Order: sequence, then C-alpha cells, then structure tokens
Amino acid sequence: MRQTRLIALAVASVTIVIAVSISTHIVSGQSERSAAASAPVYNPYPLGILPADLSSETARVQREVDMIEARALARWKTLGHPTLAGQPPILQNTGTEAIETLGELMLYDNKISPGQNLACASCHMPYAGFSGPTPSVNLTMVAFPGTVHFRAGKRTPQRHPYAPFFPVLQYNQVQGLFFGGNFWDSRATGYKLRVPDAEQAQGPPVDTQEMGFPDTACIAFRLSQAVYRPLFEQVWGEGSFDIKFPGETERICATPAGAAMFAGSTTPVPLSAADRTRANIVYDRWAQSIDSFEQSVQVSAFSSKFDAFLAGKYTLTPDEMAGFKLFNGKGNCNSCHLDGRGTTLKSDQADTSAAAMVNPLFTCFGSANEGVPLNPGDAFYYQTKPDSYGFIANPYGFGYRDLGLGSFLRSAFGSGPNPNVNWKQYAPTVDGQMQVSSVRDVASTPPQCPTTEAPGPYFQKAFFHNGYFKSLKQVVHFYNTRDKYAYPVTSGHCPKGKTEKVDCWPMPEVRNNIDMTSGNLGLTDEEENQIVAFLETLSDGFTRPYLNSDTYTGACMKGGSAATQGNEHLIPTPSLPPCVSAICGVAPVPSPSIP
Amino acid sequence: MSRAFVLLAIAVLSGRLCAQVSPITPEARGVRIIEGPKMELAKGYLTIISWTTNNPGGSPVHYGVVHYGTDPHSLTETAKSPIRLNPDHSSTVFRVRLDNLKPQTTYYYTVDSIQANGKSDGIKGTVNHFTTP
Repeated sequence: MRQTRLIALAVASVTIVIAVSISTHIVSGQSERSAAASAPVYNPYPLGILPADLSSETARVQREVDMIEARALARWKTLGHPTLAGQPPILQNTGTEAIETLGELMLYDNKISPGQNLACASCHMPYAGFSGPTPSVNLTMVAFPGTVHFRAGKRTPQRHPYAPFFPVLQYNQVQGLFFGGNFWDSRATGYKLRVPDAEQAQGPPVDTQEMGFPDTACIAFRLSQAVYRPLFEQVWGEGSFDIKFPGETERICATPAGAAMFAGSTTPVPLSAADRTRANIVYDRWAQSIDSFEQSVQVSAFSSKFDAFLAGKYTLTPDEMAGFKLFNGKGNCNSCHLDGRGTTLKSDQADTSAAAMVNPLFTCFGSANEGVPLNPGDAFYYQTKPDSYGFIANPYGFGYRDLGLGSFLRSAFGSGPNPNVNWKQYAPTVDGQMQVSSVRDVASTPPQCPTTEAPGPYFQKAFFHNGYFKSLKQVVHFYNTRDKYAYPVTSGHCPKGKTEKVDCWPMPEVRNNIDMTSGNLGLTDEEENQIVAFLETLSDGFTRPYLNSDTYTGACMKGGSAATQGNEHLIPTPSLPPCVSAICGVAPVPSPSIP
Repeated sequence: MSRAFVLLAIAVLSGRLCAQVSPITPEARGVRIIEGPKMELAKGYLTIISWTTNNPGGSPVHYGVVHYGTDPHSLTETAKSPIRLNPDHSSTVFRVRLDNLKPQTTYYYTVDSIQANGKSDGIKGTVNHFTTP
C-alpha cells in the first residue's frame, strides 16, 4: 500500500515538474515562434465561414494538447529501465509500452509544426473519438485551421481509432474492388511501410494547410530537439539523429510549406545525400511510432457497450437492440459496416456458415459514393487568394470537385501521387468514392456533453468527408430518404416550404457511381432514432476509461432538434462553374462527365 | 497444429488480420425477380427503377443494369448503379438511377444485374415501360 502511494507520489511529482518545464519551454518558445505564428491573419473568407470564437477555441485546444503531452511525458518517466536483448535488439519487457508512449508523445507535440502551434492531435482529440475537437469549426468551416492562421484543409479530420487495421491498398481483381489504405481518398496506401496508418501519419506534417513543414527533414530536426529524444533513441537506436543540420534549418523549418521563397522545392533544407537518407529514416520511424500508439488499446480500445454486449456483460436497451436489428436488417448498414455477424445465406443459398468475427470493426475496408451534397461551408473553396507567403491553397475555388478515390488514382489536384499505374484505369469506376470508415466512436463525445444530438447538452461534430451532416440523426435520415426527398438544387436552395436535411436533399456533388443500397429505406422516424441509439453503443470508454477523454475544457451546446441541427448556418451555394480540368480533365476522365 | 494456432493468435492480436473484407458468397443456383421492376421515383431530372430478387450471391458489389430507350425494339441506352449485397439477407433490392430523361416521354426498358466482373446474374426480364412526368 505504502509502495503504491510512493509510486503515485512520484508520478504526480514528475507530472508537475514536467508540466512546469513544458510551460516554461512554451513561454520561452513563444519569443522565438516563427513567422508562421506571427504572420498576418489570412482571411479570404466571406462572413459566416470562420466562427467568431476561432482564435480562442484554437488556443483552448492547444492548451489541452499540452496537458495530454505532459501526462505522456510523466508516463514515459515511469517506464522500466530499458534492457536491450537479442539481435535484432529488442527492448525486453518495456519495448511495447516504449514505442506506444513515443507515438503518443509525437501525436500531442505542438512543436511539430512551423509555428510550434499545431500537433496531430489538434484536429484529432480523444474526447471526440479522435475527430475534430472544435464544435464551432465542425458547425461552420468543417476543415480545421493549420499552422498558418487561417489556412484550412479541405475535409473533416477522419477518426483514426481502428485505422491501423486497414490493410495495404489493393485492387481485388475477383471482386472488382479496392480495399484498404488510409485517408478519405485512400491515398496513404501503405505501399512502402506496408502499413497505411503509418503512411497516413506522414501526410499532415508536410501538408500546406495542416502542420505545414516545408521539408520532411524538419520533422527529424524538431524531434532531435524534443525532450523525449532519449526515448526515440532508446526505441530506434543511438545515432538516429546523427544528421548535420545546417545553420539555416531553424529558419527554414519555421516557414510554412508553400511559401514562394521555396520556389516549389519540397527539400529546401540542404542536406548531404547521407543525411537526407537518415532524415527520411527518422520520418519513417515517426510514422511507425504513431501507428503503434494508434493501434494500442489506448486508442483502438474495443471498450464500448457493444463490446461488453458481445462479451455477455451488457444487455442492450430495447431501443439499442431495435437499432442493432435495423442496422443489420431494414437499414442494411452492415452490408458495408460489417458487424461480425455470421454470413449465413438464406433462401436457396448453400453456405451455412455462422461464424462470427472477433472484435468487429464496422467497416468493409472499401469505399463508396453515397451522393453527399457539396458543402459550401467548407473553407477550402474560398482559399483562392495568396496568403502573406504567396501561397494559394485552391486556385480553382468552386471549380474544385472532390472525386475522392478517383482523384487519387489519377494523381489529380487535391490528392497525392498514385504509386501504381495499373490502378489508374479504374478511376472512372470509383469517382466520388470515399473510404468507408469504421462506425466505432462515431458518437464519441466528452463526458460532460454526453451526445452528438440536439437538444443535448451535446458536442457538435461534423460527419462524412465534407461535414455536411451535423448530427447522426441527419446521417441516418439521409441514408433513409436521400432519393425520396431528392431535389435538383444545391445546398441552401431548397424549394420554399421544404426544409433542407428534413424533406429536401440537394443533389450529389458527384453523381457518378452512387451507391444505391440505401436512399429509400422506408425507416420510420422512431426507427431512425433507434439506429442512432445503436451507434451510440459503439463509443469506447464503457468497459474501462478511455485515455484522455476527460480533457475537454470547452462548452456543450443545448437546444434545437437533431433533425435541423446546424441549419441556421446553412449558406447558399454559389452558381457552380464546371469542374476544372486539373481534376475532371485528367485521363481517364470521369464517365459520364461531371458538371 | 499448435504452430498454426500460434500464428493465428499473432495475426489476431497484432490486428493485421484482414478478416473483414467483404466476403464473396456462393452464387445462387438461380436468380429470379421477386418484385418489380417498377418506377420507384420520377422527378424529371431523376428516375429510379427498382426491383427485388433473391440474393444472387457472388461478388459483394453488384450492379443493377437498365437498358432503355424510346423505341421498344431498340433499347440503346444503358444505366447501371452499384449496390452492396448483404450476405445475411435472403433478398436483394436493385435500384438504378437514370439521370436527365426527357419530360413527358415514354421509355421502354429491361433490367439485369451483374457481378463486379461483368458476369450477368441471368435475369430474363421482359420489356417494360414508364412515362416521365
């Protein structure tokens, strides 16, 4: 007992010391914070796109990220003494926790950005199921601001629990389908590191609108200065940072990617070939460490009510059970969000398998175009003017169309390079498709705001790749009535007497390859609510606390109804110019053409 | 045997087991239309033709196919829409979108469904018709 108290006291002391040291570092660091943090605010947005509390909310998340980082540093200090054994060397007994802790420290490190003001977690906090942590952003601009205030991305931050379980992107010839990858458009294929989740972690740090380093070597540079560098060297080897960074590295790495001064170079840090290779290896280690944390039971926890139900330790309420049956039956949700039930066929089918999968992931690892309307609230459309660095995120404005997997296969504007030329031919068959995310944690919220649904108290989230939906009720209602209430209008232009998202759905952004499994399901209002109740059983943290889900210091929202949640922020979509050739003109072009 | 068990355990615990990719299910011995086809929706800019069959099995993604035209003897246009088979369901609803048809026009059509590789489920439908509003 006394020993336990002593350990607790030691942990608490270390936490306080580290917290103080971090605060000190942040304060002293602010004086040297880069041009990225002190540059004039970039605001090309019309009224109603940026939320009024954006600056204070961004600062709030930054504080929460620092708080979790302090906790992780404290835990690192309690790790056992490292003992290397075997060849290749293994950290005997402590290796798993060491690499997971290293990944956690990286994920919550605000210094991994030119302005030292943005971490991976800034857009993926645990209390939101590792999706966007700022209710007002979810309600309005959808894409989260990056290191440069206020450049913003183009899509909602995708939840990353269970993302490590997605396989390397593959085209299955027999099924005629793509499986795997990470990101909404699957562009983190895993082709090189063989783990898509790890390659995903290599995207945002050098994304111009996110953490925004101009060079991947900057991550190695900042890690070489991190307080947890000894842990990195313990896990990945002494000498990992034997890189001769030139004197101008700090200045270069404090300048955001896309700045005109780099003249398009993605390797502005001048390194020898050998040092460039070492820096690349560090970046791979960064990715693998973060993947370790994201796959750990601290993130991909399998600790929901539904997991307890599968284990026979929780009885679903009548509404939850009804929702589960609808999820499998009339709703047909588990045709893609596989729930681990047996695959027994009925009628005149021959297969009698009834084997259930362990720990169902509620995804088929595939992609689909559900026909979601274009969301004119997405901040990406408005970044058509140069910021103070001379960078333009989206020169095409509303000529941009999000073709998802199709754009990736073409290596078109808005996606990344496709490493497999054989996939390119399939682009027209997947235009508009986005990754089928796991449904797990879709309803996760901070404990003090126990739901995503109005009237609440609720935590405002944004759903699907463009955040068009503001409640799960709207998501389910869309699946149920997309075609029944279809109108040939864009968002903000429903006919008089009709209410958008209630009895009017604007036309799809991409009309090709629309999945017709749903769209007119015939669910009643009560049945929709029961499916939402079932989705809420998939939030981690029921069988044991979910790590750091207690860190939300913002406010909950109240009032209104889930059906029209956020409708007060709808803005009329402007007249849309044709899809630009940098997207829709890249061969093999979409068929039929996209207006 | 024990080695196989260990390998399976490692695969499960390491989380890399790709067990959840949609399964290819056994093909039905015969696929027949249970209900429809019918014009489910007609809004001028969007028409949906739907029908229900017994679960055809095969690839998890199937396409409903509608061959249509204004001349019953020359169905020159084709529309197809993907759906996901649900292995647990005994029947499957196919729904196909036809965009931007001419108003107040009678169209003739037949329906079919195909697997992802283009193999037909073998439905022998008759020529039906509908008139747009």
